Amino acid sequence: MERKIRVLVAKPGLDGHDRGALVIAQALRDEGMEVVYTGLRQTPAQIVASAIQEDVNVIGLSCLSGAHNELFPEVIRLLKEQGADDIIVIGGGVIPDEDIPFLEEQGVVKVFTPGTKTKDTADFIRHKVSEKQGAAESIMSSPEKIEHIGIAVKNLDESVKFYTKMLGLKLLGFETVESEQVRVAFLEIGETHIELLEPTSEDSAIAKFIAKKGEGIHHIALKVDDQKERLNKLKEAGVRLISEEPKLGAHQNMVAFLHPKSTHGVLLELCQKVDTPMLSDHTDKQ
Amino acid sequence: MGKNKKKKALRAWEEKVETRLAKVPERKEKFETSSGIEVERAYFPEDLTDEYMENTGFPGEYPYTRGVQPTMYRGRFWTMRQYAGFGSAEETNKRFKYLLEQGQTGLSCAFDLPTQIGYDSDDPMSTGEVGKVGVAIDSLEDMEILLDGIPLDKVSTSMTINAPASVLLAMYIAVGEKQGVPSEKLSGTIQNDILKEYIARGTYIFPPKPSMRLITDIFAYCSENVPKWNTISISGYHIREAGSTAVQEVAFTLADAIAYVEAALEAGLDVDGFAPQLSFFFNGHNNFFEEIAKFRAARRIWSRLMKEKYGAKNPKSWQFRVHTQTGGSTLTAQQPDNNIVRVTIQALAAVLGGTQSLHTNSRDEALALPTEESARIALRTQQIIAYETGVTDTVDPLAGSYYVESLTDQIEQQVLDYLKKIEDMGGAVSAVEQGYMQREIHEKAYEFQKKVETGEEVVVGVNRFRIEDEKQPELLRVDPSLGKVQRAKLEQLRERRDNDKVNETLKALRNGARGQDNLMPLILDAVRVYATIGEICGVLREEFGEYRPV
Repeated sequence: MERKIRVLVAKPGLDGHDRGALVIAQALRDEGMEVVYTGLRQTPAQIVASAIQEDVNVIGLSCLSGAHNELFPEVIRLLKEQGADDIIVIGGGVIPDEDIPFLEEQGVVKVFTPGTKTKDTADFIRHKVSEKQGAAESIMSSPEKIEHIGIAVKNLDESVKFYTKMLGLKLLGFETVESEQVRVAFLEIGETHIELLEPTSEDSAIAKFIAKKGEGIHHIALKVDDQKERLNKLKEAGVRLISEEPKLGAHQNMVAFLHPKSTHGVLLELCQKVDTPMLSDHTDKQ
Repeated sequence: MGKNKKKKALRAWEEKVETRLAKVPERKEKFETSSGIEVERAYFPEDLTDEYMENTGFPGEYPYTRGVQPTMYRGRFWTMRQYAGFGSAEETNKRFKYLLEQGQTGLSCAFDLPTQIGYDSDDPMSTGEVGKVGVAIDSLEDMEILLDGIPLDKVSTSMTINAPASVLLAMYIAVGEKQGVPSEKLSGTIQNDILKEYIARGTYIFPPKPSMRLITDIFAYCSENVPKWNTISISGYHIREAGSTAVQEVAFTLADAIAYVEAALEAGLDVDGFAPQLSFFFNGHNNFFEEIAKFRAARRIWSRLMKEKYGAKNPKSWQFRVHTQTGGSTLTAQQPDNNIVRVTIQALAAVLGGTQSLHTNSRDEALALPTEESARIALRTQQIIAYETGVTDTVDPLAGSYYVESLTDQIEQQVLDYLKKIEDMGGAVSAVEQGYMQREIHEKAYEFQKKVETGEEVVVGVNRFRIEDEKQPELLRVDPSLGKVQRAKLEQLRERRDNDKVNETLKALRNGARGQDNLMPLILDAVRVYATIGEICGVLREEFGEYRPV
């Protein structure tokens, strides 16, 4: 079994506010990590010693007293001095935005300010740790091909006209996916497809996408044959998933999306053909 | 009680109030609404039932559910007391004077963490912390600068200081001596509540036993020498900030209070000698009506405890007098101007709950210490409530509301259940040592966080109604070179002062700590010859040891 991620939650300096430290410690435990909390009033030297002794992957520093600019860099300096700078240092607390570039320059990998979801912090840690551990090697084989490219459109009929008439693509058919509140058209191009999506309600994700960004490329779908396994591995590695369980989408595909925040800006869909024809009647399914 | 008897009781109360008014008149001869409707001092049910008289009663009368004074804010407003302090004594002195000029009616001093934990600015433990969350005080010299030009016989000062409360109080007394103000005339408050430091705030130094001794020494010393001083401010504020519920805030505060009363009784003090100088400190949080009810319930429980359980005879010993600060942890870093609205609502609840003094937080406090402008808006918030809304024109205006009365009763009941439980654990000191309150609070804090993350609890601007790409406002920055300046000042002081005298007084303090004598006079002697807070607490650290949490 793979070793659990180990985190030291530490309170440097004299600050006595540990509500945040205690909450994040428990949240990371609930996320499956092993967490050691130092307690209050730790000097940077004590924190580094504990981190080395406990063999942690990550140190999370919490400071609400305003002493972060002095104390956080000192922790990093001591880690380097003791050859333990493979330990990832993150921070949180009452830290003005204007201090963050300085702290990052000093080697704090990320500063989480008030209002951050604990889940985001956990995802970030998983991602960074797996980056460190797996550095170059890929954790998975390449998907088979691009299954389709999804394009959000305001008017499906007009768009279809353009793609068939002007570009000569072959229309495979229309479908309505009630659960997503969209009507889609599939067009064939070589070994892949273009999927045009039109919202059927103002609440649909596609409607919101268009309202915010206008018409355009909405997602790229990758064809895989090990969807569940991949999702698990990605999750483990700290990649944000939009939903953890695949859902039935259009075109008899089980689909699951990866959050653009984790994929450098693109909504990625992993899709896998449904084997049983019974499931193809999906229009009234959630 | 028959109907006549009740009418008589009401008349007796009114007469009593009238006599008092001859000495201390109300703010106005007549209070009216905008439509000319006369506003009465207090409103009562048609039928003053036994149940009403027992649980609610008259304002300013046992069990004080309706407030500790008969006229409340018709007599005078609460003390507007903004907590301030940062950087050097000079800077803080300037902010104090500014706040007094702006119409603030009392001072409230924030100390930096080294001062609060008894380290000098040049101690390695103080790295990065000097002047950050409050003013840096190393010796009497700093205190003289801090209070320069502030008449200590006129202005009352609250000092948020706990483990080294004796040292700071001694410095205050010594500055008074230099101003020619005898200690009998000094008024103010020291927080001096060590139990909640173990539970929630974290600036403890010594283990519980010697800490309790320092506290009872202060009680005894002040009841003789500084009679107008609130010797302790038993605090639920930080318990709430750490994530507790309103009921837990009241329950754990009162459990701590019981522990102090029992420690003082055990030290041989007379209950009516020290109890009138006990004061409390609550949080003003978001759930509006629950907050109001919380104050009413706390007053009722406390007065019954003091009268019935501890046999106090002086009505002043029965009165739960409370300072309130709006809830810092409710402030958001996102869209900070929204915090002005939160603070207004929280402050209004504290006023309707009958607080004796109030601090309103500044909008930028989730980001840094407040700027002068933010601090002014916070003070103006109180002034608007006091002068413009009319909520101050009648006493306890929500009495008789089915909802508020029911909440008051239910909070009382749940608090009593907690108190019973803590008593069974051997009292607050023992419960703290077992980590009981800490666990209870953490559980609620974690629950709340989860609810915010799932959206079950809405925090405007944080998990709903967000703005992308916000710009932070301009924030107050403490000069990072202050640590150096303060260290240099200390070095000069150590050369200039009479070090033989310092050593002598510290030796006397060490001997005192080993024996049973009251330590206050010994600390005062050391302070007068400019022994530093680090030196004084250093001696006590060596003699008492340091607290290590479980």
